[in-house]
Amino acid sequence: MNNIVKMFLNLIVIGALSGIILSGVFGVADPMIKANKERELKEAIFVVLPGAKDFKVLEKTVGQEKLIVYKGIDENGAPVGVAFKADGGGFQGNIGLMVGLETNYLKLRAIEVLEQLETPGLGDRIREEAFKDQFKGLEVKPKVEYIKYRKPEKPNQIQAITGATISSDAVVKNINRAVEKVVANFPQEEMTRAEAAPQAAPKEAGNGK
Amino acid sequence: MESLKFVRKPKRPLPQNNRITDQRTLDAKEINPNAEQPSQAATRLIVSSSPHFLNTESVPKIMHNVVTALLPATAASVYFFGWRALLLIIVCVVACLATEYAFQKIRKQPIKIHDGSAIITGMLLAMTLPAGFPIFGAILGSVFAIGVGKQLFGGLGYNIFNPALLGRAFLMATYPVLTTTWVWPRTMEKAIDAVTAATPLVMAKFEGKFDVPIMDMFIGNTAGSLGETSAIAIILGGLYLRYKGYINWKLPLGYLGTIAVFSAIFWYVNPAKYPSPLFHLFAGGAMLGAWFMVTDMVTSPVTSLGQWIFVIVAGILAVVIRLFGGLPEGVMYSILFMNAFVPLLNKHTRPKVFGEVKAQKG
Amino acid sequence: MANSLGYEFKKGLWQELPPFRLVLGLCPTLAVTNSAVNGLAMGLATIFVLFTSNILISLVRKTISAQVRIPAYVVIIATLVTVADLFLAAVFPDISKSLGPYIPLIVVNCIILGRAEAFAQKNSILPTAADTLGIGIGFIISLTIMGTIREVLGFGSIFGVKLLGEWFEPWIVMILPAGAFLVFGGLVALVNWISSRKAEKAASAAMSR
Repeated sequence: MNNIVKMFLNLIVIGALSGIILSGVFGVADPMIKANKERELKEAIFVVLPGAKDFKVLEKTVGQEKLIVYKGIDENGAPVGVAFKADGGGFQGNIGLMVGLETNYLKLRAIEVLEQLETPGLGDRIREEAFKDQFKGLEVKPKVEYIKYRKPEKPNQIQAITGATISSDAVVKNINRAVEKVVANFPQEEMTRAEAAPQAAPKEAGNGK
Repeated sequence: MESLKFVRKPKRPLPQNNRITDQRTLDAKEINPNAEQPSQAATRLIVSSSPHFLNTESVPKIMHNVVTALLPATAASVYFFGWRALLLIIVCVVACLATEYAFQKIRKQPIKIHDGSAIITGMLLAMTLPAGFPIFGAILGSVFAIGVGKQLFGGLGYNIFNPALLGRAFLMATYPVLTTTWVWPRTMEKAIDAVTAATPLVMAKFEGKFDVPIMDMFIGNTAGSLGETSAIAIILGGLYLRYKGYINWKLPLGYLGTIAVFSAIFWYVNPAKYPSPLFHLFAGGAMLGAWFMVTDMVTSPVTSLGQWIFVIVAGILAVVIRLFGGLPEGVMYSILFMNAFVPLLNKHTRPKVFGEVKAQKG
Repeated sequence: MANSLGYEFKKGLWQELPPFRLVLGLCPTLAVTNSAVNGLAMGLATIFVLFTSNILISLVRKTISAQVRIPAYVVIIATLVTVADLFLAAVFPDISKSLGPYIPLIVVNCIILGRAEAFAQKNSILPTAADTLGIGIGFIISLTIMGTIREVLGFGSIFGVKLLGEWFEPWIVMILPAGAFLVFGGLVALVNWISSRKAEKAASAAMSR
């Protein structure tokens, strides 16, 4: 009998202690982890929208899906472009992109790879500047295409990475799908409208929520 | 101490029989646990169904005939891809021989590089490489093929996987871009503006086009690896081997037949989406694999039923990888995959021994 | 049982080297060692959990009843792993990202529970500290060596610093899982070869005496 009480006490005390320790550590670490994630997001948005000093979050619910776009504005509040995430399956796992689009919905400004699990040395070359730079100023109408082994011939074409056609294809498809959704659901007027100029300390003003 | 280590080494490299005998010894105990410890002589009575010819032919003679059978494909590769192709073949052969020599020297074994098996591995490995493949890559692949694929398993006869294909698989994983950077054969004019060429299978996989004339693929007038493009040269070599009695017709024809039948099903359902059986037979490494790799004596099953299972599953796998996999070509992995099952197939498809009874329970 | 502290420490460095001699802890050994930094970080995270959890277990070894010791140990280990995970995510987000799910998976690393069962629950704090430090450092060294070999061959660099020049064509296979198995097999063979040579020498020395 005594032994059973002891077993209970053992586990209860250990469980309670570990709960206390974890809540303490979590209390300190969680704000830092959130700040890390936010900084990453902000950096990615500013990379794909050069010239942006701040951004505004626009949300829309379409059916089950929640669409979020980040409207980048310069120091006077004039829109410089719209950024949004584009996710989709690659060769091995999800490829998460941040895509920057001009407010007239005609050309891409830039893209950034947020996450990918592609083959190192092959598919993961989608992170290389040489590949990402191809998307700067690329036309998205009618849609982005890729071409293999040759230099792009049309203004909406990029050259696929040799040996990593599937990854290149996934990037292009992600972009097309996301661009299509944004264009269909966010009227262009919303993007071209000027916003209030960002506050003096743009570092803290990033979160529009 | 030293001699104990190599006690398993056969005097003559007649690996197949030796391996089977090993298995038989085990099996005999399993079959009849009630029996007294089976004597060595009793287990020797159990013989494999085929191939019997191994007992009368010496390994060097077989191997040199295989080299002869590869000559048409070698000639075709030089004709289509120039002297660069010959250079690659020579580099692979020399590197394979050197690796074999080095391993046998280090392990203080008798040097047996003259038996020709390393020459074949080198030639076959070179046959699976594109003509522009760098020399250092060819050397690396050869060292891996002989070192890891063959000598680490114990040398000729003990290897589970076809060494040349293992070397090719290693190169494929090591240099995925270089192993798929093809060049057009010099007999084709169209290549001048393009940097790299696309094989018929790559076109079929990534661009949905399979309009390469079958005749070109039959003769070898397409992009591809050295020994893969010219179906006719490989068939000539294969027929020579068959004429000499070194290969069992079941293996190559069963493999090719499965590919043809299985791909024909898809082609019949939707000829616009899936290439024809003829395309599948003459594209990529199907011919080379069927005549020279599926038939590898060491890494294919010895029983008739086992051989049928081996080739049919491998053929289906090859077509499945080609049509639905991430890679354009599936011959290499289909054969390597089935190589792994050969010991299992040999064990479970063995014909019943005369007078054998099932072990009684209790 | 009363081995010297120095012996308890030293045995983890060669005699009971975790991945290559005990063949324990293979999941992190094979999964995260595609670069030297990842191997080192994983080793450090593991030694933190190994050391602290085993010290705690050694402390409470007399108060915990034998029937519930495994759940109690698992709670202690899991708590510490979570602390390590949160710490990495908060302070070193990049390393946390590249190690991905393998930090939480330290919970099931059998080295830790193995040492707890085999050593910490029978010994006082000092021998336990020596034992876990030895095993932990052995694990760090093993993982860093694996990571270094794979990084040199797979990227041509070491700790992110370019080592081999342009002439070197990286062996992609070394960064892939297959490369982990190849390097692991090679190192096990090497370790066995060295120790069999040692044993032979010792034997011949004994003979000549």
